[in-house]
Amino acid sequence: MEDKFDCIVIGGGVAGLAASMVLARNNMKFLLIERGEFAGAKNVSGGVLWGSDLHQLVPNYWEDEDSGWERYINHRRLTFMDQQSTFSLDFKSSHFNETPYSGVVVLRSKFDNWLSGKVQEAIDASDYAMDSFIATNIKVDEVMMVNGKAVGIKTGEDEFYADSVIIAEGVNNLLTRQVGLQDQYVPADHMLTGIKEIIRFDQKVLEDRFQLDGLSGMSNEFVGWATDGVEGGGFLYTNRDTISLGLVLGIKDLRSKKRSPHDLLNHFKSHPTIASAIKDGEIVEYSAHVVSSGDSRAMPKELYTDGILLAGESANLLMNAGKAIQGMDYAMRSGILAAETIIEAKEKGDYSAATLKSYRRRMDDSYIMKDINNFQDAVHLLHTDTMQNKVPNLVCDFGRQFFTIKNEPTPKSEKMLLGAIKRHASIWELLKLGFKARKSL
Amino acid sequence: MSSILTYIAIADGKIKRSSLEVLSHCKDLANTNGLRCEAVIIDEHASSFTSEVSNYGASKIYTISEEIFSRHQNGSLIRALSTVIDASSPKVIAFASTESTKDILGALAANLNAGVVADVSSFSIDGDKVVAQRPMMAAKIMGNVDVSGNTIVVSVRSGSYDLKVNPTESEIMELSSGIAENDLRSTLREIITATGETIDLNEAEAIVAAGRGVKDEEAKQLITELATALNAGVGASRALTEAGIYDPSLQIGQTGKVVSPQLYIAVGISGAIQHVAGMANSKVIVAINKDADAPIFEVADYGIVGDLYKILPPFIQEIKNIKQ
Amino acid sequence: MKFLVSIKMVPDVYAPFQIKEGELLMDGDRMVLNAYDASAVEEALVLTEKYGGDVEVVCVGPTKASETIRKALAMGAAKGHHIHIGGDEHFDSTSYAHILATFCKDKDFDILSFGKQSQDMDSGLTGGMVAQLLEIPFATNAVGLEIENEHLIVKRQGDTGQEMIELPTPCLVTCSNDMNEPRIPNLKGIMASKRKPIESLNLSDLSLDSDTLIPATQITSYEPVPSRKAGQKFEGEPEEIAVQVAQLLDTEANVF
Ligand SMILES: Cc1cc2nc3c(=O)[nH]c(=O)nc-3n(C[C@H](O)[C@H](O)[C@H](O)COP(=O)(O)OP(=O)(O)OC[C@H]3O[C@@H](n4cnc5c(N)ncnc54)[C@H](O)[C@@H]3O)c2cc1C
Ligand SMILES: Cc1cc2nc3c(=O)[nH]c(=O)nc-3n(C[C@H](O)[C@H](O)[C@H](O)COP(=O)(O)OP(=O)(O)OC[C@H]3O[C@@H](n4cnc5c(N)ncnc54)[C@H](O)[C@@H]3O)c2cc1C
Ligand SMILES: Nc1ncnc2c1ncn2[C@@H]1O[C@H](COP(=O)(O)O)[C@@H](O)[C@H]1O
Repeated sequence: MEDKFDCIVIGGGVAGLAASMVLARNNMKFLLIERGEFAGAKNVSGGVLWGSDLHQLVPNYWEDEDSGWERYINHRRLTFMDQQSTFSLDFKSSHFNETPYSGVVVLRSKFDNWLSGKVQEAIDASDYAMDSFIATNIKVDEVMMVNGKAVGIKTGEDEFYADSVIIAEGVNNLLTRQVGLQDQYVPADHMLTGIKEIIRFDQKVLEDRFQLDGLSGMSNEFVGWATDGVEGGGFLYTNRDTISLGLVLGIKDLRSKKRSPHDLLNHFKSHPTIASAIKDGEIVEYSAHVVSSGDSRAMPKELYTDGILLAGESANLLMNAGKAIQGMDYAMRSGILAAETIIEAKEKGDYSAATLKSYRRRMDDSYIMKDINNFQDAVHLLHTDTMQNKVPNLVCDFGRQFFTIKNEPTPKSEKMLLGAIKRHASIWELLKLGFKARKSL
Repeated sequence: MSSILTYIAIADGKIKRSSLEVLSHCKDLANTNGLRCEAVIIDEHASSFTSEVSNYGASKIYTISEEIFSRHQNGSLIRALSTVIDASSPKVIAFASTESTKDILGALAANLNAGVVADVSSFSIDGDKVVAQRPMMAAKIMGNVDVSGNTIVVSVRSGSYDLKVNPTESEIMELSSGIAENDLRSTLREIITATGETIDLNEAEAIVAAGRGVKDEEAKQLITELATALNAGVGASRALTEAGIYDPSLQIGQTGKVVSPQLYIAVGISGAIQHVAGMANSKVIVAINKDADAPIFEVADYGIVGDLYKILPPFIQEIKNIKQ
Repeated sequence: MKFLVSIKMVPDVYAPFQIKEGELLMDGDRMVLNAYDASAVEEALVLTEKYGGDVEVVCVGPTKASETIRKALAMGAAKGHHIHIGGDEHFDSTSYAHILATFCKDKDFDILSFGKQSQDMDSGLTGGMVAQLLEIPFATNAVGLEIENEHLIVKRQGDTGQEMIELPTPCLVTCSNDMNEPRIPNLKGIMASKRKPIESLNLSDLSLDSDTLIPATQITSYEPVPSRKAGQKFEGEPEEIAVQVAQLLDTEANVF
């Protein structure tokens, strides 16, 4: 088997590309297989890539204006919504203008394609320029297992052998199930569905409307009326000359409430605040895709087994505790750690679970597992009715009174607050909530 | 004073209307730019068409009536045209865009060392340039093009210009190509013409186009009935010409024909951009498709969401009622 | 038979584009092998698999075009020739034809195969031009190819029907994508393609330079195609909507 690979990476999304970049940099002989016609072809999602790992993969990527990213985030907003009003926590800081950026907005079809170009460059510079490949338009049908150990992959008639396989196939993780790291049937209860529209403006209009300068950008999350009582939230990200506007919705709740994502998106867009934000925009793309909820109950039994590592959303690695969706950065970091584990395994000449176990350790030590574990309560909290509906209504109600100026004596804000609370919830409920929140956030 | 020369295409014993459309436009260009408006007919019976061509303003008509031109062959046509071009020394040579034209356009331009632009939807003369507009990127985009050269060759999409009758006393000039059959290096073995008397899609007032939704004889039958009721030509999407269900010459779209009838009825066609590229300029578009989200509905003036087997019978019946 | 297939790298027609002040903006990473050329490559492979011979490809394009050449090599072509030009050259069919003809002049190939047109420009000119410049017989819009005693038999799609044309070699043919379904390279093919040779040339190697290749055509600006007015959609009882639309065609659109 002279053309046996050190590693086969399945999936050219964020996780697979990150892993491949590290493998190439470390002179590993590997094969990256992507189902789409090109990396990114199948990836409709996109949004904010948080953290600075991208800088580690492609040093000073920001120096190249066309390096696949749209804008860097220096302005963040969390918005509570009721039918008429929005009440926002708004934070903008020039501190975020410094590189490496702490978050960049990306459009995946462009970003992935660009990143895979960079991986190719790394391959060309490696000892295996002739023996490592990025193969697109190829679907892996099966991971070949020989008595419990992965030995390669099957695509159509062809079989390819490798010491290890990194499964980075994304949330629709059929191969993860095939190799038994996750049950064949996982109820969608802890899954979400994300839908989004890309809306184009004249760049000048966009920049004025959202107060952007140069390549600065804004990310805005929404809770409350946005989802009309369905568990989930909304988001708005600014790209170069478009915005990404969408919702992330609980699949179970959608089902029980018999609502369609598409209708809810229109509902969201009908809110005066959103309506004015997207005025005169042209919808250029619509897409829907399943997303993990970040609920650990949806996660695979383990992240590794003999000859196999799971990276990214194929392991349902995602955090959505209200203030942001973190999936791409988790995918990127886990891809990097997976590759490092494979490199270690090659040095040891042992790809068995015994060695690959250290991937688990790396993950547990990383912010990914720490956050996932620490913020589980927050994840659950976010999905309670109180947080979904009562709080946003209450906050907006209070805001409305607080900012209304009538020609009559103004009550004390405390009184306003108490009034608002009584109308939408009970003090007791909030105490409980506040207590939970203190523990979970 | 040089000329603007229009090539008059003959297909099964008739002048192709599209080449008279081009001639009508060239007459206007000749007037506004002080050029002679001339035409050329190359066919076994070329001289029998001159009187009709005079109706569209050609002051001079070159004819080459030779037996070898009863069939299309690029080698002979290019040489015959070169003879005429020597005589006419045109500034602009204009063609209606047909498969025969496409077959020779590039070679002719290279032969004359001329500037060339193909498949324009409009063109005019600006000084010694030709300014043209043509669809690009599967007709998703219009491009404005400047063409330069001592001689400029242009081909024009059918339906781009209206016929303008303009009776003229044309001088007729009979030329000979001086080609003998055995001069030609390529030999035409046989011609497999489309079966049955089919209406030329480029000239059809109405077209009924069938797509993959038309799966069986019953559906084909309905298409034929509808076409007959409307006296329309039958076209097809690639899905069906590829499957051999309809003759390849009926394919409409980027690879096939570009048409612009008054009425285009797309039955069981999804509306892929490469198909739409060939019919988007139709005046009125009707789409019948069971998938309410099919992209064809984005270009249809009247979209009927439903199963063609259920829609067509009453549709045909009503049209018959209206017609008589 | 020795085939040389001329392949072009074109923008993916499905890639999002935008027109700003007459300029066309597209994602420069979204480039593909011209579909018609893919069919030309496919047919050349089929014929050489059947009768022997080999298939080489030539492409005039910027550095990135090497990916397009790899695609053809992954399909099965044996060798590639990459004639490099700058990314910002505004060449048209005329300029490409001169480059390609100059390149082919002193090569010994039996059959030069082209696409009938390029997906982005739809000009359909280059093939015929090259044939004329090389003074070899040619046929366009081929929907089928065969080889009989050293002759190429072309089934070409004409206006009303098909023509069977016999060409002595060397000759040139332009191919329609109706000729076949191009194979999608499998993993083995993709791997093999990496070890196949790509000869790299510059215009100067052909004693040409961009100034002497001034295109005859120049795109001065782009416009969006005038979009059709949003029409009406009829859903419901087949009987009713069918009759309703038929009547509207008569009374409203009056096309009867
Ligand atoms: C609407 C929406 C908005 C989002 N917003 C954000 C956000 O703002 N920030 C954020 O961080 N995350 C966001 N996410 C989540 C984020 O998109 C995912 O978490 C992230 O893409 C996971 O990356 P991945 O590489 O693990 O999987 P993916 O990006 O899904 O990549 C998997 C790849 O594997 C390929 N593949 C699958 N199966 C096979 C096979 N058998 N053979 C070959 N190839 C295969 C697929 O084609 C795909 O390219 C959002 C998601 C959605 C749906
Ligand atoms: C370079 C290139 C050039 C091309 N050139 C052309 C061209 O010139 N012309 C062309 O047509 N295509 C062309 N194509 C192919 C084109 O992309 C599409 O594949 C093709 O047009 C699909 O044909 P279709 O719509 O009939 O089939 P499909 O896309 O399969 O659509 C069938 C439709 O019929 C509907 N349907 C099915 N059953 C019924 C029923 N009982 N009642 C009502 N509706 C029903 C379905 O909902 C569906 O929308 C080209 C492609 C390429 C890459
Ligand atoms: N830059 C190029 N490199 C190689 N072949 C080309 C190039 N441009 C055009 N061709 C060939 O010419 C055919 C038709 O081109 P066009 O005249 O642009 O429609 C294409 O299908 C290719 O076979």
